[in-house]
Amino acid sequence: MALKALDIYKLLPKKNCKECGDPTCLTFAMKLASGKADPDKCPYLDPQAKEVLGSSTKPPVKPMRIGVGERSFRIGEESCLYRHEKTFYHAPGFFLALKDSSGESQISTIANRVEKDLLVRAGQDLRLNGVAIISDSKNPETFGSVVKKVEELVSLPEILISNDPKIVEAGLTYCGSYHPVIHAATRENYPEMCRLALKFGCRLIISEGDITKIPELVNECVKIGVPDLILDPCVDNLSDCLKKFTVIRKKAVTREDASLGYPLYLDTGRFKDRSGSLYLGILKYASLIVIHDLPEPVEKAALTLRQGIYTDPQRPIQMEPGLYKIGEPGKDSPVFMTVNFSLTFFTLQGYLESSGVSCYMLIVDTEGLSVLTAVAAGKLTDTLVNETLKKADLANIVSHHTLIIPGYAAPISGKLEDETGWKILVGPRDAAEVGTFLESLQSGETK
Amino acid sequence: MAEKGTYEWSSRVGVVKIGATKSEGGTRGKSYTIGGSSNIPFFSEKNPPRIALEICDDIAFWPGLLKDNLPDITADVSEWAKKGEMEWGADLIRVYLTSTKKKHFSDFPGIKKVIDEILSGTTLPLIIEGSDSPEIDSDVFLNCGEAGSGERLLLGTAEADRYRSVAAAAIAYNHAVIAQSPIDINLAKQLNILLRETGMPDNSIIIDSYTGALGYGFEYSYSTIERIRYAALKGDDDLAMPIISSAPDTLGVREVRESPPETKYETAIQWEFGTALSSLVAGASIVCVRLPETIKLLKTAIIDLSSPSVEDI
Repeated sequence: MALKALDIYKLLPKKNCKECGDPTCLTFAMKLASGKADPDKCPYLDPQAKEVLGSSTKPPVKPMRIGVGERSFRIGEESCLYRHEKTFYHAPGFFLALKDSSGESQISTIANRVEKDLLVRAGQDLRLNGVAIISDSKNPETFGSVVKKVEELVSLPEILISNDPKIVEAGLTYCGSYHPVIHAATRENYPEMCRLALKFGCRLIISEGDITKIPELVNECVKIGVPDLILDPCVDNLSDCLKKFTVIRKKAVTREDASLGYPLYLDTGRFKDRSGSLYLGILKYASLIVIHDLPEPVEKAALTLRQGIYTDPQRPIQMEPGLYKIGEPGKDSPVFMTVNFSLTFFTLQGYLESSGVSCYMLIVDTEGLSVLTAVAAGKLTDTLVNETLKKADLANIVSHHTLIIPGYAAPISGKLEDETGWKILVGPRDAAEVGTFLESLQSGETK
Repeated sequence: MAEKGTYEWSSRVGVVKIGATKSEGGTRGKSYTIGGSSNIPFFSEKNPPRIALEICDDIAFWPGLLKDNLPDITADVSEWAKKGEMEWGADLIRVYLTSTKKKHFSDFPGIKKVIDEILSGTTLPLIIEGSDSPEIDSDVFLNCGEAGSGERLLLGTAEADRYRSVAAAAIAYNHAVIAQSPIDINLAKQLNILLRETGMPDNSIIIDSYTGALGYGFEYSYSTIERIRYAALKGDDDLAMPIISSAPDTLGVREVRESPPETKYETAIQWEFGTALSSLVAGASIVCVRLPETIKLLKTAIIDLSSPSVEDI
């Protein structure tokens, strides 16, 4: 069972030596308790304490980094089944599949797409993560030459896919120093695959459809000395995917079976329903997802879903405070004030855009709280709005000195008028009504 | 591998009957038992989740995307419902009486006519969304209730500050209601308690915890649905009602609006599909969509998700 921070603290040397990277033993203990630190980082821990801590404080799903350099990313470290229990930490990596039988132009199309595709949402860059190179030709030389070609074009995380160690090794000749992922070790080939993983420092995927047989294979690979494993339970329909992944993740986070405490691998190419399996993988615990064909609409939806599901429920995405333009506003354009909770921002922005009226949005920093919560918590105040107003130099940008505030901010409207000297108009509570509000504003009804 | 005992819950989600066949006193071709799960979604599910096609009686208040892509059907609400059943494979038809949004609406007998037309256009059970302004609620809902008398409609929508009219109509004519609250498990619970106090039985309430569109708060809705489902399984009777999910803003989100013409419709489909599929996985028993293609994708996905697995309990 998981230990509490204070219980862990008692086992630590209490030297506050900072060698673990934390300022004090207590903060280190708190991190250990939440599964966010590794007891091995403490150089003075006695072996007995280490053993006690090791089994109960390590993240239940093993953390690891995929790839090297700028586009490398972390997976694992998860500690719950449902995001509302805490959060999901590391979003799954999307890997575009590339068969080694592909022509040159296709190779560069796929590699460049992964490198360049970018969706910016709520101030975050959303990207594809890597290339999965599949041995289709069953020929080591062909495989090696395609890996070489990809390496020449881009620096991205890679998965090398073949059950033949010779073929994988041919690829590793060209990318072995960049810690690629190998798919896959099976009951038949695992000693050879482990040898390669050790030699090149690769993450190794274990491919086994029978969940009851996975622990044995995991233990064999661990015995050989491969630390970073990823599990592929070979699912090919949505039902199996949901159920196997849930069972494995549940046994991992409850520490019922430590040999299942590794990230999960999903190949959507095995499914009839390719977009459905991609969405399901995002929701249900996949850490590496191989995607075979990815129409742009599916890509956009998947990147957006992934961003949402992997947003910390305790810390909503926040917008940068300041002035935003809708359309091409001028001196007479209306100004709508609202909070920096991204959801509020995007909802209002959407309705303002569809109203077709050019205007300004003045965003104040309520630390990501919604209007209603911010007013209740005293985070949306007249002084804060006034500061933001001044900082944006709004008095020189518009000529009318009228500020429209959200309906739920009505309680501060009086104070706000006194503090800013601006005329305050209380807008609708629901952003959906903002179009009608603008109409009545223009026809003079509101004034 | 038998995973017996992996998930042990003390309770289950209640059931709500929707639709009434001839033998049940109505005219529908089939009726559904919604809910009843005693486990997490798709693990030994007794009653499969259902897909509702959303249509409306006044297209002026409906996303333009639909008018642009399906112009011939959207003019006649009865034909629209019929297509939903015969060609697109919907399980339910959800009609929004958008005509009531017109300024100073007062054509209450017209509501009955619309519902009669839809009832004769389709044999599927109906969800009827009445007005959304308190001044006319009472007249609208009573007319809906009466027009669908005997048909065991699902009437929408009760909210915390306006639930009496819809509850009264539902109780008078034995219909079920949708109880909508803004993405918050406690508010969902509160509204159920309020409805119960009006005399609504638990087996006539379906929870709508509100679903934000993908990229516009969907993750909050996703987690709220999950939390409500687990609360029910853990024995909270005030939340043990099946869940309906519809993301009404989906067809109008920026990603759809700003897509190039050649991918706009496909983006809308994926936005609907991704949202509805995720809601099902979170625990919704009814999902509502507007595009025929999305219904097909969802049907296939539900069959696939419901197929037997070695991990079934």
